[in-house]
Amino acid sequence: MRREIEDYFLNPPPGSAAARAAEFGIDLTLTLENLRLTAEERIRKLDNFIKSVEKLRKSVRIIDPSNATPRPDH
Amino acid sequence: MPLPDQIIEAPLRLLGEYEVDCVIVGGVAAAIHGSSLLTNDLDVCYSRDPPNLKRLAQALQSVNARLRNAPEGLPFILDDETLKRGLNFTFTTDIGDLDLLGEVRGLGQYDEVVAGSLTFELFGYRFPVIDIGKLIVAKRAAGRQKDLLALPELEAIQEAQAMQLGQPKS
Repeated sequence: MRREIEDYFLNPPPGSAAARAAEFGIDLTLTLENLRLTAEERIRKLDNFIKSVEKLRKSVRIIDPSNATPRPDH
Repeated sequence: MPLPDQIIEAPLRLLGEYEVDCVIVGGVAAAIHGSSLLTNDLDVCYSRDPPNLKRLAQALQSVNARLRNAPEGLPFILDDETLKRGLNFTFTTDIGDLDLLGEVRGLGQYDEVVAGSLTFELFGYRFPVIDIGKLIVAKRAAGRQKDLLALPELEAIQEAQAMQLGQPKS
């Protein structure tokens, strides 16, 4: 990737779309990380993330707030 | 039912295997352009040419596609005639969810959407991916909160793409 593009996301020029995105709250380091990947890698990253969220969702147990003290074995 | 491992990759491979003429749009297109926003299904705009509808119907039949969130027992025959009579479909399949758009709001049908797209080689198949400028138009036209939230990052990527090509922003 060209140095100019890296700079654009890491130090957005005032008035640029990147500056507006950063102001909006977008973490442009994540965007830059994606841009360093190939298109296939971007899709696989998405797939892995979806799968991880699904695993996390299945592992969640709802704990009654009255006994929500962390246990040492967890 | 557990999620398949490749919820985006597998439907793409399916469309490639059946040689379906389609252009990748929506969140997956945004991800291919570099967006960090997440999506959990594949949206494509498909050509409504009769031979393509036949190939698309065969592809969908092969993965047990059914309408997402349709009432149980709703009669639905999945063939090219059904695809011809409808326009936009949301399917769940054995390999992941797949949204088929005959028309993209703000842009039009396949020929308008595919014009100016970039072609990517993905998993051994060639797919057109909607041009980022058109993706921005479509997201603005869709107007849902999740679409509007995607705009600032997409506009930054668009500006970076223009820099890379040495072009002024369109």
